[in-house]
Amino acid sequence: MSETTAPDSIGSTLGAPNTARASRKRDRTRWYFIGPAIIWILLFTLFPLLYAIRTSFYAFRSGKMLRWVGFDNYRNLWEDEALRSDLQRTIVYVTVVVVVEMVLGFLLALLFNRQMRGVSSLRTIMVLPLFASPIALGYLGKTIFYEIDGPVNRAIEALGGNGIPWLSDPTWAFVAIMIVDIWQWTPFVFLVSLAGLQALPQDITEAAEVDGASALQRLFSITLPLMAPILWLILLLRTIDAFKVVDIVISMTLGGPGRATELYGFYVFRTARRFFNYGSAAAQGYLLLVIVMILVSLLWGRIRNLYEHDVEAR
Amino acid sequence: MDAYLERIRRHPTRLLGDLFVIFMLIVVIAWTLFPLYWAFINSIKFPYDVYGTKWIPWLQFEPTAKYWRQLLGEREIRSAIKNSLIISIGAATLAIALGTLAAYGLARFRFDRPSNGELTTWFLSQRVLPPVIFVTPFYLLARQLDTWNVPYLGLDSVWTLVLLNATFNLPFPVIILTQMFREIPREIEEAAQVDGASRLQIFLRIALPLVAPGLVVSFVIVMAFSWNEYILAVTIAVKNAIPVPVIIAGAESTRGIDYQAVGTRTVLALLPPAIIALIASRYIIRGLSLGAVKG
Amino acid sequence: MSQPTIHELYRALVSGQLSRRQFIAKAAAIGITAPALGFFLKAAEARAQDEPTPVPADVAAPAVATPCEGDGCLFAGQTVTFLTPNETIQVPIFEVRDEFEAATGAKLDIVLAAMNDTLPNLLQDVANGTGAYDASIIGAWWLGELVEGDYLIAIDDWLADDRFPQWSLDSVLPAIRNLMQYDGKTYEIAYDSDGQAFYYRRDLFTDPDHQTAFKAEAGYDLPDPPTTWDQVIDIAKYFNGKPFGPDGEAGSGITMHLAVGQQAMFHFMTFSAPFVIGPDNPQLYWFSPDDMTPLITSPGHVQAINYLVELSKLGPEAMMAWGLTESWDYFLSGKAAMTFTWGDLGALAQETPERGGKSLVKGMTKTVQCPGTMSYYNIVAGADAPTDAPNIVGNTTGGSWAPVISKFAKSPEAAYYVCALMATEPKAKAYAARGFDGVDPGRTFDFPPPDGTGNIEDYVKAGWDEQDAKDYTNAYFQTFSNPLQFPYLRIPGTFEYWLALDTHLSEAMTGQSSPEDALNAAASEFEDITERFGRDLQLDSYKRSFGFE
Repeated sequence: MSETTAPDSIGSTLGAPNTARASRKRDRTRWYFIGPAIIWILLFTLFPLLYAIRTSFYAFRSGKMLRWVGFDNYRNLWEDEALRSDLQRTIVYVTVVVVVEMVLGFLLALLFNRQMRGVSSLRTIMVLPLFASPIALGYLGKTIFYEIDGPVNRAIEALGGNGIPWLSDPTWAFVAIMIVDIWQWTPFVFLVSLAGLQALPQDITEAAEVDGASALQRLFSITLPLMAPILWLILLLRTIDAFKVVDIVISMTLGGPGRATELYGFYVFRTARRFFNYGSAAAQGYLLLVIVMILVSLLWGRIRNLYEHDVEAR
Repeated sequence: MDAYLERIRRHPTRLLGDLFVIFMLIVVIAWTLFPLYWAFINSIKFPYDVYGTKWIPWLQFEPTAKYWRQLLGEREIRSAIKNSLIISIGAATLAIALGTLAAYGLARFRFDRPSNGELTTWFLSQRVLPPVIFVTPFYLLARQLDTWNVPYLGLDSVWTLVLLNATFNLPFPVIILTQMFREIPREIEEAAQVDGASRLQIFLRIALPLVAPGLVVSFVIVMAFSWNEYILAVTIAVKNAIPVPVIIAGAESTRGIDYQAVGTRTVLALLPPAIIALIASRYIIRGLSLGAVKG
Repeated sequence: MSQPTIHELYRALVSGQLSRRQFIAKAAAIGITAPALGFFLKAAEARAQDEPTPVPADVAAPAVATPCEGDGCLFAGQTVTFLTPNETIQVPIFEVRDEFEAATGAKLDIVLAAMNDTLPNLLQDVANGTGAYDASIIGAWWLGELVEGDYLIAIDDWLADDRFPQWSLDSVLPAIRNLMQYDGKTYEIAYDSDGQAFYYRRDLFTDPDHQTAFKAEAGYDLPDPPTTWDQVIDIAKYFNGKPFGPDGEAGSGITMHLAVGQQAMFHFMTFSAPFVIGPDNPQLYWFSPDDMTPLITSPGHVQAINYLVELSKLGPEAMMAWGLTESWDYFLSGKAAMTFTWGDLGALAQETPERGGKSLVKGMTKTVQCPGTMSYYNIVAGADAPTDAPNIVGNTTGGSWAPVISKFAKSPEAAYYVCALMATEPKAKAYAARGFDGVDPGRTFDFPPPDGTGNIEDYVKAGWDEQDAKDYTNAYFQTFSNPLQFPYLRIPGTFEYWLALDTHLSEAMTGQSSPEDALNAAASEFEDITERFGRDLQLDSYKRSFGFE
């Protein structure tokens, strides 16, 4: 790690508090930078946040606040078996898609981290899925995974296999929506990792190669540690977004068959937008906030060392 | 070419490796493009050809331009694309402007209460809440703006959606650019400081140009997310402000899904942001490295 | 962007400007792009020539209103904002726009929303008193939600008001009329009429080979039409896997749309009706009118779900994930012997590939009232009640889409004018006959004699096979005039109750739970929902919506 931290430690004198006056000035300057974003976010989210908290203490009927119910909406979260199973399912979903996307994306980046004509066009192509509307992808998924004569099953049959009940079988339907998510977001991991790999100092890996380190050794002792900050960052962003998946479920399965593909984000969406039960939806939203923030804090604890050393060091 | 053959001769296993890379390249490209291809051929099929094994136009089915004709003839879709462009570009611009400042602040200054880490976590937390629980308060806010006659903002206004998307996507530029700014060697900024440049000058003249690729990539990412945002759009937009995802969702009806409409709209909705991204892609690749400017 | 022709390329190759490889690549590019380019050029040309007209002239609805002038323009300067699901049922609203604007001086703005976003957007508007929409097309199960919230204007006073186009409430068949009214007042203006009927292949049922083989297998004559669900299961067993599909493919006994969130619960409602409803229990299906205890775990319901699960094994497995289109397409492509669904299928069956549709079963699609049972479980008496004749129950399951006027409307009268205009006999008749706009028949003048005052020629003119049309109209007349009707739930939270049923139903169908457990789970969710809304409030609404004492 010494190679990467060296330049930063030199910079630690920047803005160093030489006098009390300079310190006060720096005090103000830093808020000029970060202040606008904070004020902006507070301006737009403070009222909705407070409003949603108030909402969470009410029962609704026909879209109107009906009566104050205290903590009932929160208490119901514990008794709601559907919610609990959806949360478990979502955790499985997030774990699988994020892990697969990270591993696939990173491995592909390793594989294609070379000077080849095809690779640049690959990068161009891999940008496309990021822009595909998830709602449209869900609808597309329905035709692609169509069980009778759909392209995927036709291909499987052509290779001698049996058609898979992609959408009518609870387990396969769950797999199908994960495939759509993986299709859309592996490129994100791939692009970011590839760019990160290409920015790695070439001399280090080459030196290791000359020293006779095997490819695996180089991967684990050099590439991965150097890539760690970026990979953690991707992991964090992907995890947060994967917890909130709604659109694919809305357009592809609506949670079925049964509850097999009912993800937490979809559950909250449906409670609010289909059942108009804004109170419970708000409570469910805050539960998700708590769970994900705990996760983020845990992850953040790991990243902090890699990511904040220069600021902390000052 | 000859040098390559020579190398292969010396390390015959390399050939296998290269073949494997090429094979994987084809697999990955096919995997990535197939759904988009499928969307496209759905858009040129008659309804009775949608299901089934018809993969190749002309050979296996007679294609039709009817649905593209219909789509391009629709006033709705044209206005939706215009709205989506305003929303996504507007939100991206705003988010980048605010996010860059905040990122620089987080990268270059030390905050104690709250600490840098806590601030970053707080920014991130803006992405955690499901937007659907904010839908009603935002609706009420927008309506309140209407009753106050605030120009441009209010219900059914693209500018309201610009502001909201900028807010929810602010974490992206903050996180990405904080890392980018951190990678700029401090010596450069110190040298400028010694020359008497103010903090703002250093930021504008030195730091910003150095993170240009990061700006582009954050821009594109925020743009993509705002382009695809559905839930806020469907509540705020009544008629004039309806963006593309709401139109796409309209392809499903009680009679089922209009696959031709999904096909044409998916492809059409993909084109504008993809073109912008492709133009910017050279920057994206550099920018995504988060370390490209190092040394 | 000029495309070099093959000829130019060839000259470049000969003159040495291009290498061989470049030539091949470029030639291939031309080979691919030329037809593709031509294709899009053709599209652009065609667009310039014939702008697609939404309604073909030969089936356009006749004009009813006369253009106004000066002070005669009732609503000059007003604007009506009309919210409608982006469905085929929007067609008449667009079609009538010019006529309405000319007749009243008002302007008509039409707002399209995805089907699933229409009620949320409307409810958000009225619950907050915004009034952005004057009128909206709603599904019948939304009426309770909207009336109980006090968001709608009752239209009774306007019905006789001669400033408006005149239409008769009595022309609407009784079952549908009930859906338009709530607690003694009328809120909806006549439009679409939904109900599920039973469709089957006339050609297969009259085929002597099948008749003989069926008799050998089941021990009785192939009933045409089937009158009980027992028979349907036997017939489905017989036809499932038989090579009657196109090109001798194996066909399926039945097809249904069973995906979650795609209205599969309507299948259960239609199917289970004769297991629970009968002459001695015409109304109790959902809740006890004493304390809102769910009734859906009664022996009748349980028997129905067991039958339905058995029936679902006699169709393609894929239908567990099917919405309406997939299931309809399957029937239209000739791969299923039977199905039960909405009126749209009858109309779609007439849309052959030559007419731009997908139907291979025009002229072979027979429609009848949904079958019944020979015994139902009488909830009131708590005992099985055998019947002498098949116990057949009519239904109005589905949306029966119709417009309502918002209490917060800025121009309520002008809004009513548009709706009334579309409800007039000449227009409504044309909508129902042409079928493609999804407005299904439900008024006396839609049905040929002896059922009503309509005529079959209107259907034939709109492209129907005559026999198909006769069977179809008769089936729906029977369904909507049946004195026994499936009790249509319209209380606040209806959709939530239904979706609970829908989800658990799907679990039973896909083997994730037993049929009994599914109903128990749904009933327990019913209780939770009722608790949350307030039991007394829900009980009040329940009684009001059915007109219990």
